[in-house]
Amino acid sequence: MAAILGHVVATERRPNTPHEFHFWTALDAPVGIGTIVRVEGTDAVAGHVPQVYGVVVEGFSYSDLETPLHDVLGADGSPERAMRVPTRRTEIRLYTAAVLRHVPDEPLQPVALGGVYLADDADVAVALRMDRYTQGEAPTGIPIGLYRAGATASPIYLDADFLLGPEAAHLNITGVSGLATKTSAVEWLLASVFAHFPSAKGSVAALCFNVKGPDLCFLDQPAERLDGSDLDLYARLGVPARPFAGVEYFAPYTARGHTLNTLRSHDALSHNVHPLRWGLGEVLQHVEVLLNKDDVDAKADALIEFIRERIVGQEFRDPLLGADAHRVQTFSDLDQWFRGVLRAMEERNQDSWRTHHVATIRKVRNRLSNISTRCRGLVADDGLASDLPWGQFRDRGVYVVDVANLEEDAQDLIFARIITKLRELMEKRALGVDHLVVFVDELNKYAPSDGADTYVRKMLLDIAERGRYLGLVLFAAQQFRSQVHRRVVGNSGTALYGRMDVDELATPGYSTLAPATRARLSTLDKGELMVRHPHFAHPVFVRFPRPAVLSGREGVERFPAAGEPTLEEAIVRSLRQLDKAVTLEWVKDAIALAEEDEVLRARNRTLQVRPDDVKAFFRAQLRRRVHAEPAAPRPRPVIRSSPGDDPYAF
Amino acid sequence: MGESYGGLPPGASMEAVARFLAGLRGSSAWPASPASAESFGLPERRPAAVVDADPLEEVAEGGLAVPGVPEPGFAAFLDGIQRSVVLPGGPHGVPLVYGTVAAAIRRRRDDRVLETWGGGAIVRHSLYAPVARADRGVLGQAGAAGLDVVDTAAEGAHPHEVLSAALDAIHRARGAVEAELATRWCARETALLYVDGGIAGLGEPASSDRAVGVVKSHRTVYGGQAAMNAAFAMAAGQRTHAFTVEGRGRASVASWYLRLHAGDGTDPFGGIVRVEVASGAFTSERADSVSRWILAERSPVALPDPRWRVMPYGIRAVEEYLRAAVPR
Repeated sequence: MAAILGHVVATERRPNTPHEFHFWTALDAPVGIGTIVRVEGTDAVAGHVPQVYGVVVEGFSYSDLETPLHDVLGADGSPERAMRVPTRRTEIRLYTAAVLRHVPDEPLQPVALGGVYLADDADVAVALRMDRYTQGEAPTGIPIGLYRAGATASPIYLDADFLLGPEAAHLNITGVSGLATKTSAVEWLLASVFAHFPSAKGSVAALCFNVKGPDLCFLDQPAERLDGSDLDLYARLGVPARPFAGVEYFAPYTARGHTLNTLRSHDALSHNVHPLRWGLGEVLQHVEVLLNKDDVDAKADALIEFIRERIVGQEFRDPLLGADAHRVQTFSDLDQWFRGVLRAMEERNQDSWRTHHVATIRKVRNRLSNISTRCRGLVADDGLASDLPWGQFRDRGVYVVDVANLEEDAQDLIFARIITKLRELMEKRALGVDHLVVFVDELNKYAPSDGADTYVRKMLLDIAERGRYLGLVLFAAQQFRSQVHRRVVGNSGTALYGRMDVDELATPGYSTLAPATRARLSTLDKGELMVRHPHFAHPVFVRFPRPAVLSGREGVERFPAAGEPTLEEAIVRSLRQLDKAVTLEWVKDAIALAEEDEVLRARNRTLQVRPDDVKAFFRAQLRRRVHAEPAAPRPRPVIRSSPGDDPYAF
Repeated sequence: MGESYGGLPPGASMEAVARFLAGLRGSSAWPASPASAESFGLPERRPAAVVDADPLEEVAEGGLAVPGVPEPGFAAFLDGIQRSVVLPGGPHGVPLVYGTVAAAIRRRRDDRVLETWGGGAIVRHSLYAPVARADRGVLGQAGAAGLDVVDTAAEGAHPHEVLSAALDAIHRARGAVEAELATRWCARETALLYVDGGIAGLGEPASSDRAVGVVKSHRTVYGGQAAMNAAFAMAAGQRTHAFTVEGRGRASVASWYLRLHAGDGTDPFGGIVRVEVASGAFTSERADSVSRWILAERSPVALPDPRWRVMPYGIRAVEEYLRAAVPR
């Protein structure tokens, strides 16, 4: 039996309740804020001696001094003398613990004045109700970290049913920036989910939005340093200490279109980096994201809907446009179509067509044509799209969409389209996996509690409120939880807290935490988290290992981003993903006479089709050129010489 | 004197025992706040006095400086407490007094934290009454229940005389448990014990060099007028010349006055203690050494105890321990 650690005390002024109790310990007892303890009841109730489990939330220390002045008097005002007193004053370590669980649950009584013991592994499991989901034939525990107190180190598990649904879902992470809390915690937790998510519950994948710097750019590369304590944690928690196996990166092109707009642009890592490039068909459904309310009034909205329903992707005939059918597939086609409509209206002196006023048509043309300029690199005028592998998501796959270097418009469009598409496919169970974790950082920016009601915020709210029924789970992170839309954080069944800013801790959302718990939150070390989970009556503190993947900062040092390449270098880099035989000399020769736009279009088409014969296909995309041949000199006309004596003659 | 009693669990509170006794008397009524014998404000039976004593050193008119720097020399502290509860008078108006005495030694560990020595406090409970005049039925049943009954043999007719006799008996009982502990200490330990009060009445410890008695009250002033004048003239940290203290039924010990703190201006004895050591080993050097050890105990101060000017923190800690350990 474990050695007794303390004794429960209660006074009339500070009584124990069913939810809280007080105990004292020896001065050297291994107890601190967050320590889990067990209280042995003193008297059997209905045949059972109650056991109460609690977590320390507050600590007090005081002596028999009535006033600090007495200490000053006793030491004659000398702190040094106060330290040299022959007898140390009687001192108490008094702790307040919040009750985690009563066993048995009924009757719910105030905590008895029993002995207090440090919780061991089994006690921790019972205290946090983990015994309900980590044991039996179908355990659903997902390790989140190791709880430590004294010599105790117990694994803490989240319940997959409450993390990834359907009982509850979503995860919210809060912590100050720069202390390896948010990104590291998510990388670790995803590895843990992939290692422990029960196969009986189906497949799981993750889609991560990389919103700043190189944070998530090296998930498939091993960490540079994992020390012994990290490896011990991995071993204890049963998670392999290795990077993710199936990672695919997606990023739009830069505005010039030569290369992808990502810090993961090192040649050695380009094999799984794919362009994210959308055409009219992909974008038109989400144009509202890019158009403000002044742009899209009811009339404009009606015309856009008409274009969406009747024009794009199908043959369109109208007497106004003559006998020929129009087929609009790309932004170029659409502009051509607009031009035709407007010209015909001018010729016939019409000021409306199919109830749409010419001014509305001009306005919508202007706004839609503008999109490919505003989102250059992401939205293409041509119809060549390169997209996520919809319907083919793989189990334990990680799909990273790098939006870090994009303008706000492009970011908004990416969020809106991808999340809408995910929701559609998950509803149809056609994404390729049964559960998908969507990780979004910087929620302060994307789902703020105040400000305009953006399309992105709507999307995130939609996941938070309805995602768990679909298997769509939001892992969201931010620096200031208090400034995130409350329906997003409120729907997160599980919450992780790293080192917190003291100003943030002073906001009302943290008032339920004891002052000592808040103080500990403000001083948490790297790798430490406070965890709230539906099964835990009170938050617990855990330690998790460094992620087994290369950090963004180390990644950009080991794999520096390639500079902006020349057109030829960009083509070589792209085509060599398909055919290693492509050389710079060959590319220079192939594109020597082609315009830049034409070359880029040929590259995009080649990457989209992925032909067997890359070189031949690529060349075929370029307009055939007739080799120049030297022209024979034209016969020079004979100039008659004028008579020397005739000044007026030719 | 017994340490347990039938019908009541060992260590039962004084109030529980008093209720038990009230039940024996056929009374279910018991005062909400039972009175203690001390609360009756009975007159001090020992008159104040100044007595002569043989000097052991040259008589000084003023204080003697204690040479050297105060340094800790004591390993442990001994003190005792007493409590009493008065049962209302019976058919003959003779009150019964239920008394508890306790004593403990708190030893100072290497880390300067105090711990209880010898396995805990000695606690004794007894029923004090003049057996010849008290309610014999009640006493008989109390004895049958295992309660220890002490005959105070009080002769006076006034109930206060009965209480005074009971208080004297309780005081003696307290001295007895203190003596018992001090004797154990001196037999087992080689380090020095600080005893709250004199050692002359403790028996063997009075002749041991392992016990030092420190007396806080001065109803009897020893050494005559000269010692008293010198005591009043002392500055903090000074002592008087030593003298021999002898008394009826008490051992002869060497003694001197020592001022721990300046007085408060109201009590002429404020800040002054009288030290008792075994006379056999007395030297002036030992008086200086013991004085330095006592002076070292001025810090930490025993505040908020009102006797802090004459009470070291170690003794306060023993009293606090006994108050917590002995249920009321």
